[in-house]
Amino acid sequence: MAAVVSVQNLRKRYRRRDPWAVDGVSFEVGPGEAFGLLGPNGAGKTSIVKMITGLLRPDSGSISLFGMNPGVPAARTELGFAPEDPDFPKFLRAPEVLDYFAGLLGLDDAERKRRIPETLAFAGLSGERRQVRQFSKGMKQRLGIAQAILGRPKLLILDEPTADLDPLGRRDVRALIDRLKASGVAVLLNSHLLSEVERVCDTVAILARGRVLKEGAMDEVVPEGSNLEEVFVQLVEANQPQHDSVPSFISEPGA
Amino acid sequence: MNGTLAVARYTLLEMSRRRLLLVFFIVGAGGIALLGIGVRAFSSLLVPAIEIHRSDGSTVSAADANRLIELTFVSNLISVLGLFALLMAFAIGMTAIYHDLESGSAVAIFSKPVSRFAFAAGKLAAAIVAMIAIVGVLGVEARLVMLLFGGGLEEALSLEILAAVANAVTLMLVVLALSSWMNNIVAAIVAFVFNGVTSVVNALHQQVNATNQGGLEGLKAVVNVAYWLVPHQLVSSAPREIVRSEFLIINTGPDMPPVDDVVSGIPGPSGAGDILWWLLVVVVLCGLLYLAVRRRQV
Repeated sequence: MAAVVSVQNLRKRYRRRDPWAVDGVSFEVGPGEAFGLLGPNGAGKTSIVKMITGLLRPDSGSISLFGMNPGVPAARTELGFAPEDPDFPKFLRAPEVLDYFAGLLGLDDAERKRRIPETLAFAGLSGERRQVRQFSKGMKQRLGIAQAILGRPKLLILDEPTADLDPLGRRDVRALIDRLKASGVAVLLNSHLLSEVERVCDTVAILARGRVLKEGAMDEVVPEGSNLEEVFVQLVEANQPQHDSVPSFISEPGA
Repeated sequence: MNGTLAVARYTLLEMSRRRLLLVFFIVGAGGIALLGIGVRAFSSLLVPAIEIHRSDGSTVSAADANRLIELTFVSNLISVLGLFALLMAFAIGMTAIYHDLESGSAVAIFSKPVSRFAFAAGKLAAAIVAMIAIVGVLGVEARLVMLLFGGGLEEALSLEILAAVANAVTLMLVVLALSSWMNNIVAAIVAFVFNGVTSVVNALHQQVNATNQGGLEGLKAVVNVAYWLVPHQLVSSAPREIVRSEFLIINTGPDMPPVDDVVSGIPGPSGAGDILWWLLVVVVLCGLLYLAVRRRQV
């Protein structure tokens, strides 16, 4: 089956003097597949995700989103994207934000009336009357996930989706991913919560300094008797300079 | 089209909830009402008590005195509305696009199947509609306040409001385009300086071309070239007609200069060339805004 998203030899840097933020990354995600993108801070995960969603232009390499360039609006019709640290027009309320995004998705009135209340209920924002500027980070994250699923995407990209969620919210997101996978939706999950990734993803790519260190099916990447966190730490430590991260004054006597 | 409408609709809704615009609107509406009521009350008390003398020493009749007060009021009203429209231009221009781009809202919006063109068009439409609506409501209020004076200058006021909106739209587009490239406060400062330079060039052009004095050909040439490099500030016939009417009431002696010479230093109504130039500037600024939004990586 054709890949939903295909990334080939992708490179990106923000200024000429900077090192490559993304350096020759390639991978594919197929329908119904949950793909985990892992890496330490600054590994290039969010840059990759932003290039796939058409928000950033790659310096070289190619991206095919549903067979099209992600810069073309039609390519993003079946894409849902929940950004890391999401934000929305701050004077709007949650139903208005979803109605705004339904308009951008081209949903008709009947579909809006059906989907918006259900999506708000899923996000736990049904009775919420405050404007977005009064939302907590967790509420914004819930709204971010809500707008991402509103268009019934065939590819859902979740960038650190559970970072600001409480345990119940995390459970809901895990259940959502399971449901989406079962209905053939591809999921690209970018998360630091390795146990979560190990639980829901079929395939994983581990990045450091913009390069893919290891990629493959979860059972290929994680040998029997080990776990994803051990593999991740070993790979990343072997590929970037190590330093004692605890300040020396912490362990000084009499502190 | 759906995308443009959605962006325009919710940008307007957001603007309607911004306190800054609301405060500006209340100040403008209150200011116009106070100006009208204040001038009317002031004139009611003073006109019977004072005498206004013409240049030939004769006394201005009570009807002419009232007419003078009305002309002064309309002249002030035009200045207040022009200033208010410029304030709105800054308030809308600094917020309509900048906050979406800076807050991260643009990340979620641009990942939807909406083109940057549709987004920019929606924002522009909302900004222009908001400007027309707010200044329009104040214009209606101004016309109602003018009823206190007996009326007769409504047409002049309507055309001048149209010109004020057109000039404010140009400035708003400059702020919008700049705030898509840079910080919105820096954008406002740059636009403020640009607007100052534009006003000076427009005024110089008016003065230099109204003067028949010889030896100014070099200056005229420089000013004329500069004039076609900046947006033309549109003007109705109102400012010139107000000065003409005031002059004709006050100055009646035989040795008075011709009224046409007196008013030639006041900006006259903009011609078709000025309006076309304004239109071209608006199109260029809209194009620059689109390019800024299109290039923007969020």
